[in-house]
Amino acid sequence: MSSETLDEVRRIAADVFGRDENLLGADSSPEQVETWDSVQHLTLVLALEARYGVEFSPEEMERMKTLGDIAGLVGSKIR
Amino acid sequence: MAIEIRPFSAEWRNSLREFNARLAATGTPLPEDPDAEMQPGSTMYVAVEDGAVRGGYILRPQTFSIRGALRRVAHFRLPVSEGAVNRAYARVGPLLVRSALQAEPLLYALGMRGFDRPLPRLLGAMGWSVSSIPLFFRVARPARFLRGIRAAREARWRASLMDLAAWTGTGWIGLRGWQWARSLQPRGGIEWDTADDFGSWADEVWGAAQAEYGMTAMRDARTLSELYPAGNKRFVRVRVNSRGWAVVLDTAMEGDRYFGDLRVGTIVDSMARPRDAAAVIHAARRYLEGRGVDVIVSNQSHAAWGAALRADGFFAGPSNFLFAASKELAALGVPATEMHMNRGDGDGPVHL
Repeated sequence: MSSETLDEVRRIAADVFGRDENLLGADSSPEQVETWDSVQHLTLVLALEARYGVEFSPEEMERMKTLGDIAGLVGSKIR
Repeated sequence: MAIEIRPFSAEWRNSLREFNARLAATGTPLPEDPDAEMQPGSTMYVAVEDGAVRGGYILRPQTFSIRGALRRVAHFRLPVSEGAVNRAYARVGPLLVRSALQAEPLLYALGMRGFDRPLPRLLGAMGWSVSSIPLFFRVARPARFLRGIRAAREARWRASLMDLAAWTGTGWIGLRGWQWARSLQPRGGIEWDTADDFGSWADEVWGAAQAEYGMTAMRDARTLSELYPAGNKRFVRVRVNSRGWAVVLDTAMEGDRYFGDLRVGTIVDSMARPRDAAAVIHAARRYLEGRGVDVIVSNQSHAAWGAALRADGFFAGPSNFLFAASKELAALGVPATEMHMNRGDGDGPVHL
């Protein structure tokens, strides 16, 4: 995963979760971010799909446990 | 270990029990004996992680008539996720929905108890079309109804009725009079009876009516006999010659959150050509009033059935009975007022 992709995922996640981008990192997960519930998780996924023109399969969605995981999946699809 | 979604089998029963216990405070559990608790043709899927159940849902493929053509549409029921109690599993809810959509693109959900609940919010975020199916009610015994509704903890009904009574300008007497006046419209000598089961007459009704609806689940005799088995005496089939029918329930409530201890008549399901809806509603209402119910309720989405209920003295009340259509189903472009959906759809009248 490139740091550019991670930065963009962090920026979009900060917007979705209503959090300061600087407080989000590759290890950020729902346990640490209070506003990261099922609906916001889905909103993040849909926002990323729209931003990158990709679609995540259920199997890929299952692997989205942290922002780093998500950025890695995005990176693998746009490569 | 990754979460996998699999059809439920007995090997997951203990894990499912533990899952339901963890989610006990959040609402409806997944059925622990699915074969006994699900509608015919349903399959329950569970999301399993290293032997532990983390979520699940039920799919029931059905045949629908959409603008007269038969299509496969599935009912998406009870998606429940560990994410409701543990944010570490926030991904499970969206995963369940996307998994179901992958299997059945034409998908709908029904009920859901209000727009502010997690499921309709989740589906709305995914671009599903979510709308409420209007609720209609008619007070058959005003004095008992007023006493009963006061006992109910839920104030929405009472507020709604007080508003209506105030609107008539004369309170309960006005309400009763208004219902009576509305139901005096000529009905042209409607002949009706009750039937012990659905026979070939129901196929005739289906054949004549099917193409006149933008969208409706199949209601031929075979399907109806599965939904409303002849052996189940709760279901009463009110038949209006070969023009149409309604399935009604007469339920003595006990401490219900909406109805307290009232005796509630429900027009659960119905089918007729739209122009014959008024005759069916009139017959069903007369039957239920004859049984002595306190109030009669019905959820109906189609404009003709709503108009028939209003013409028979029913009021529209607050509805938290929602219909959600997946993007692909909504893209077929059938307006809600041309869909024939009611409490007989989805998981059926299990809560009535």
